[in-house]
Amino acid sequence: MLRIVIPRLLGAVPVLFVVSLIAFGLTLLVPGDMAAEMLGPSATASDLARVRHELGLDQPPLARMAQYYGGLLHLDLGRSILLNQSVTQAILERLPVTMSLTCLGLGMAMLVGIPLGLFAASRSGHLSDQAAMGVALIGLSLPEFWLGLVMIWVLGVKLGWLPTGGWVSLADDPLGWLHHMVMPAGSLAIAQLGLIARMTRSAALEVASSDFVRTARAKGLAEPRVFVRHVLGASLVPILTVAGIAFGVSLGGALVIEQVFSLPGVGRLVIGAVLRRDWPVIQGGLLLTATVFVLVNLIVDLLYLWADPRLRGR
Amino acid sequence: MMIRRRTFGAGLLATSLPLPAIAQSTGSAGKRGGDVIVAQQAQPPSLDAQTTTAQAARNISLHVYESLFTRDEASNPKPELAEGVDIAADGLTYTFTLRTGVKFHNGKVMTSADAKASMERYAKVGGSGDALKPVAAFETPDAKTLVMKLSRVFPGMIEAISSPRAPYVIMPAEECVKPAGQTAPPMIGTGPFRFVEYRPDSHVKLARFDDYSANMAYEKRDGFTGRKTPYFDSVTFRFMPEGGARTAGLQTGELHVLESLDNAAAKRLKDDKNIRAYTMMPWAFMTLMLNNNWGLTANVELRRAIQAALDLEEIMAISTDGLYRLDPAWQYPDTNYFPGVAGLDAYVKQNQDKAKQLLKAAGYNGEELVLVADNSFKAHLDAATIASEQLRAIGMKVKLSVMDWPTVTATRQKSEGWNMWPLMMGIEPYEGPYNVVGFFAGKQTVQIKQDPVIEDANTKLNTELKLDDRRAAVKQFQARVYDQAISVKVGDVGIIQATRANVMNYAPYRIPRMWDCWFA
Repeated sequence: MLRIVIPRLLGAVPVLFVVSLIAFGLTLLVPGDMAAEMLGPSATASDLARVRHELGLDQPPLARMAQYYGGLLHLDLGRSILLNQSVTQAILERLPVTMSLTCLGLGMAMLVGIPLGLFAASRSGHLSDQAAMGVALIGLSLPEFWLGLVMIWVLGVKLGWLPTGGWVSLADDPLGWLHHMVMPAGSLAIAQLGLIARMTRSAALEVASSDFVRTARAKGLAEPRVFVRHVLGASLVPILTVAGIAFGVSLGGALVIEQVFSLPGVGRLVIGAVLRRDWPVIQGGLLLTATVFVLVNLIVDLLYLWADPRLRGR
Repeated sequence: MMIRRRTFGAGLLATSLPLPAIAQSTGSAGKRGGDVIVAQQAQPPSLDAQTTTAQAARNISLHVYESLFTRDEASNPKPELAEGVDIAADGLTYTFTLRTGVKFHNGKVMTSADAKASMERYAKVGGSGDALKPVAAFETPDAKTLVMKLSRVFPGMIEAISSPRAPYVIMPAEECVKPAGQTAPPMIGTGPFRFVEYRPDSHVKLARFDDYSANMAYEKRDGFTGRKTPYFDSVTFRFMPEGGARTAGLQTGELHVLESLDNAAAKRLKDDKNIRAYTMMPWAFMTLMLNNNWGLTANVELRRAIQAALDLEEIMAISTDGLYRLDPAWQYPDTNYFPGVAGLDAYVKQNQDKAKQLLKAAGYNGEELVLVADNSFKAHLDAATIASEQLRAIGMKVKLSVMDWPTVTATRQKSEGWNMWPLMMGIEPYEGPYNVVGFFAGKQTVQIKQDPVIEDANTKLNTELKLDDRRAAVKQFQARVYDQAISVKVGDVGIIQATRANVMNYAPYRIPRMWDCWFA
């Protein structure tokens, strides 16, 4: 396993360096700064200059770059001007919200999408196959933010079943957390469900025509058992691949969903920072996102080893 | 010897009264208790009240902090932590008498030392710190007196320090050594609610300050001042960026107060007995700022053509969803400096034939007009879109560049590269003329190129001791803006605030005020 993990982690270093360069470059290229945001459009030039100086925004680019990379070498992402706290702390406080939303959404999508895909494959060519794939296509086509707003209106306002927004910590109140997360995670899941169901169907159909599946059927195994035991097992590698992709897409979707449902996650942190030009947070958010993608890819690679024993010796 | 030239003070009551058990503003019985939840779109850029001009910050900070002077219901300056001020005849010495026995949320009693430290901090880090440039020194002859000595006359001083724009709040002296952006959390003030917690991207929670020193010089709530009585046990300000989610939260009762409700939603909910909508008119100016320095709009004839080409009513009707009034004046009617609207009809009435003639006279030859607008505020983008179509209708070539708000503000500060920029001016016209006229004057004018007549008007406004002379300066400014088509005032925009029906005695204002209201 280490033969896979170590090269991957070493390979991530240049990737993260390039991301950090892009993140720093943005501070030089993108117009606007925090002082202008704090003082509003009618601020006088001298008020702006004074507040820029007070916030340290008037330092030359090279000094800022030295400070930025000096901090990174000590694993210090800097300090948020907006929040008056360290970026690392700000991200760590919000990471549980974003990760729990993404994981719950992806979990729901896999829980429904994989059986749906297997069902469609087992009924290939039938009306029920087309209906299942139609449902999947609709899910894939609907934007998350729209789904979220519709769910708020129907499940929150009209039926009053679920809260329209807000966050309850999982540690403080697990049931309250679930109550608040069902809608946001559900709107993420519906979009990803389609992707997973279609990929599962396609992988399962390819495996279903293999000799060992024919042998299983010839042994007299029931069709559901053939699919769950043999077809699903052999289809896991492409399903894991698409789950890894779906995780990345869900993470992006979570940023939007956090806005819609007023969840205090990393997405709202970064979007707020972009709109206010809180550069340390934007840079930290980009580095975090890149790191999460590297780790997710690594985890998917390790899961391949678990799913397909043939890969372990390579 | 100081001569009492004019005194600002509240209509004083003869005796101090205990904290009233009933609401003074209506005579109805107020009821203590409950956690009221207020939803606002944005998170404050900072909780350091002195440094930021953001509405999102004011909503919260003006429940926690108070100032020497603030504004009443009609936006006139009125005392808050001061009993009043004596201004010397030469306009160079202001002597503030402070209220006594006023406690900060940390239990300390406010003195002139705190007021001095707060004002000195403001001069250094404050969002409108330029207004304190004429101040040579602050002195504290005793614990309840603050003397402000000016090096030059500035008749707008009380208007300036009473403005809630980036409020001149008084905080304990020991807090005042903290750099910009670092006084909060916690927020320590003298206001009716004290700070409890800040969860970034989620909420700020305040609790009733049971030792609050209500200003007994007043009889009732009055703008940001008056006799304030906190009834709610706590106030939670939730930050909810999505308008639909805010409206849904109000419908389900998860939220009790919205800082704003769009007009379309208000129309949809008008029959909902659980919701009350309150309209405030005016709330802001809608303007189209013109770059008088660069490209097409450097030409006064062409700017006049733009003014004539625009159908202001169409722009207002669409960009505000119908919540507007046509008002060409650069100050609100019924305010101290209202310059009148006589003679402005000819400027504000759309006349496309005249516009085409002016365009021809300006030598227009198909050059591109660059309109920059942000997509953060729907009204800005709508106004820009409609204006661009109206200008195309007279044969102009228009490029509409849509950017995010910080990029637009950075772009418009450049002297070149843009011609027109839609802007809603909210707090500035509410404050009076200083930040409206001042926006068009000085080294960094909004129209980029300084205009000598406006500079003169601004100088008079900032130096003349007689009110009539200052009013004349505002008239001079307005006449010049129209004559030279320096900028386009499109109209006045309103706002709708909304509450659940069980929030009693609520009255709309510049912020959703949570004092003097309670749950039924």
